[in-house]
Amino acid sequence: MRRHRGALPLALLVAVARLLCVGTASADDDTGALFASAAAALKDGRPQDAIASLEALADRGAIDPVASYDRGLAYAMRARMGAEAPGDLGRAAQGFEEARELSRDPQLVEDASRGLSVIRSEVARRRVRAGEPVEVDPGRSLARTVAGLLSEDTWSVIAVLASVILAVCLFMRGLARARRVRISGGVGAGIATPVLTLAVAMTLAARHDRMRLREAVVVVASARPIDERGVTVPGATTIPEGARVELVEASGAWSRVRFGSIEARVASSALRALARPD
Amino acid sequence: MSPRGIGVSLSQRIAWVVPLLSLFILSKVAWAQSAPQLQLRQSASTVGVGDVVDVELSATSADTMPSDAQIGAAQGFVVRGQNPSPSQTHINFNGTRMDRYTLTMTWTLEAQRVGTFHVGPASVAVSAIRYPVQPITISVVPAGQAPRPRAPPPTFPPGMQSPFRFSPFDPWKGLLQGFDNDDQGPTSAPSISTDPRLSLDAARGPFFFLHATVDKTTAVVGEQVTYSVYQYLDTGERSVEIDDENVHDSTAADFVKHPLLREDQEAPRVGYASAGGRIWEVKLLRRWALFPLRTGDLTIGPMRLNVVRPQSATGPARTAETLVVHASEPPLTGRPPGYTLGDVGHFSLSAQVSPREIDQGGAIGVHVELSGTGNVPSAIATPVREGVEWLTPEVHGELGPTGHDAFGGKRIIDYVVRMRRAGPVDLGELTLPFWDPDQKRYGLARASLGVVRVVRSAAGSSAAADSARETLPGLPSARDRLEGSRGPRAHADDSPIFWIAGIGAWPLAFGAMVAARAAGRRGLAAWRKRRTSPETELKERLAAASTACGQGDARTADAAIARALEAAALARVRVNVRGAAGNELIDRLERAGVAPDAASSVANLLRECEVARFAPEAADIVSVRNRWVRAQGAIRDLETGG
Repeated sequence: MRRHRGALPLALLVAVARLLCVGTASADDDTGALFASAAAALKDGRPQDAIASLEALADRGAIDPVASYDRGLAYAMRARMGAEAPGDLGRAAQGFEEARELSRDPQLVEDASRGLSVIRSEVARRRVRAGEPVEVDPGRSLARTVAGLLSEDTWSVIAVLASVILAVCLFMRGLARARRVRISGGVGAGIATPVLTLAVAMTLAARHDRMRLREAVVVVASARPIDERGVTVPGATTIPEGARVELVEASGAWSRVRFGSIEARVASSALRALARPD
Repeated sequence: MSPRGIGVSLSQRIAWVVPLLSLFILSKVAWAQSAPQLQLRQSASTVGVGDVVDVELSATSADTMPSDAQIGAAQGFVVRGQNPSPSQTHINFNGTRMDRYTLTMTWTLEAQRVGTFHVGPASVAVSAIRYPVQPITISVVPAGQAPRPRAPPPTFPPGMQSPFRFSPFDPWKGLLQGFDNDDQGPTSAPSISTDPRLSLDAARGPFFFLHATVDKTTAVVGEQVTYSVYQYLDTGERSVEIDDENVHDSTAADFVKHPLLREDQEAPRVGYASAGGRIWEVKLLRRWALFPLRTGDLTIGPMRLNVVRPQSATGPARTAETLVVHASEPPLTGRPPGYTLGDVGHFSLSAQVSPREIDQGGAIGVHVELSGTGNVPSAIATPVREGVEWLTPEVHGELGPTGHDAFGGKRIIDYVVRMRRAGPVDLGELTLPFWDPDQKRYGLARASLGVVRVVRSAAGSSAAADSARETLPGLPSARDRLEGSRGPRAHADDSPIFWIAGIGAWPLAFGAMVAARAAGRRGLAAWRKRRTSPETELKERLAAASTACGQGDARTADAAIARALEAAALARVRVNVRGAAGNELIDRLERAGVAPDAASSVANLLRECEVARFAPEAADIVSVRNRWVRAQGAIRDLETGG
């Protein structure tokens, strides 16, 4: 009887664990099968089928840099084959941007950057033909560029080291009897203080971006700024297809975005959000 | 009816009314003495659950008006209304007066559950005596299974009477029409079977109101929601006139709307309904197939209109309900690749390709028929192949209401496809994944396009080469292995420990040290300052004097007492009396606010101590102790200001 009492919870535990494993395995199989069919379709020159599979993957919440990269490539191939649907270049750019953002593989990042460059060149070429401004990538702000030079964790480590060095130098300056030591402490503190300030600021900026920054890519030929009534603002500068924009505010049918120095309200359907690594 | 009309009617009927009146007169005596004539009947013996049945009790007395009619038990039914209808008939024939008092009470009962039920015994009071009536039996069957009621008799607008107005409930009524001008009872309503699906607990307004319904309150994006607006008109009302210029249709901005009813024709009557104990004629004003465009709680705004006639029915605008439909996405599980949100229904695809052989650079035609019910897509994704260019298609729709209020039909899509690559080209197949809301699963409509043989030609191959060169050169190659996603991970700077211990602790430690050193210095200075204060010195002098007085050396004790007094003057009144004597000492103390007696006492004690200290022989220690006692008193006086 005692053995039975012990065996029942154990059996239940095993059964639950098995069920969970089956569920996970099933989801993995599904993801794997969809990606395999997408890869085969790309290889066979069937970008439409590849897009269907890769979009189905995205609908299931699967986030993988290679899936994003292949999705971008599939849209680009569809455009190249003359079967381009409106927004294909933007979706291709979104896939490449997402792959760059997510991947740790330098080769993949390089390929995605190359694909992005091809797409943006094509967009720029078309805008030149249409007589529109050709700037498709205004770049990021100086602070964001500096913060992006190193990873958030690296900035954190630098901040801790600078803090320790600053404290040691201050102790040397305050407690040492020898004049040389006191001077060394003063100089060290003078260097460590701005380093600490910069590292803390960059850590905070990187953390803020990770927590708050949401970005998207324009997936229509031109995102036209709209007003509160949803009417296109006459004469406003359009945001080009494939442009990476910062989502300032999103509210159902419309979103407020920042693109370089432009801050505008555009239809949410004109944007596709970028997945983030964290 | 006009008096002239009454006269004509009477002359036409008088020939056969007279024999009847004769019979009536002969029976008058016996009839007057007997119990009242009672009759209980129902409009239908079998009804469905939710149907309404009228039960009528007719009580006729020659003496007085019957009153207080009660239906008795009515298990299985709910009484929705009752309508008493008293009437009196007084006939004066050759000087003989005949009276007849009739109470007709009609109860409207709504069947609640299946079974056979006895209604009654109903009863009525006549001259303080209550008379019961035999119960009646009504069978209730499930909703919709009751036998169809007979067609209601033709009705006539109020003010016009049927020339054959004969009621089985009251045979005298028609015959004696010309005589009973003071007949006070209204005519009984024709038997009407109501539709429980249209019935409401309460009317939404007097005489006329609007009522809106949807067939479902939850749907997936693209699933048909059938929206209906009914108008309810009280059957007691002859008609209403609507302000056609001021009819505001319902709003459904979050839906694709397709009418299922022609809106340019008169609203069809869909039946009768019970609401608030009254019977209403129900017409269908609007019926739309609505297809949600997005997820969320989607609002259908109300229809609104104004009644302009009759005057009694006008007032605020009649408004239908505002309805909300919750729209969600169909499930992710099992969703086929290529599914587009909103493709909901049941569809089939067929395609014809012609010709099957063509020169390179030429075009073929692909005729596609997409048919089904639901939100029939206006476009389908075409297969993309190298060297195959699908031009913008021509689309024709043959869509509209199909059976059972469903929307659907057929879309015909004609493509022109340019073939740029030579050789056999497999066009692939057209596929349309859709969500079938009836089956609750995804379906896939497909049509294979087959192979087209493209014959190489010089013009076609050069054009193909040109087009291939110019678009998106230099794309990278595809990858066939997933990299694996990085899940969300913790960062050191998310923890407060990082900021407190990692960043802030070290400079803070230095700051704490500096602060501690500063605090130490400040404490030491305060301590030193406190050590040299007059109060501290006074304490020390008092203790020394007390100690000296406890020992045997009188001179030392006097000296200690003198120093204690000087310290007390300095500590208490901030006056240095050292070196002062006599009146000068008293003046100093008085200027500092010491009372003259206290000042004199201090001066005397100092003088005594000085004398004793420098006397040739030592003073008696006892007197020194007495002096010390007086000195302590003087010090206290200094403290209190004398």
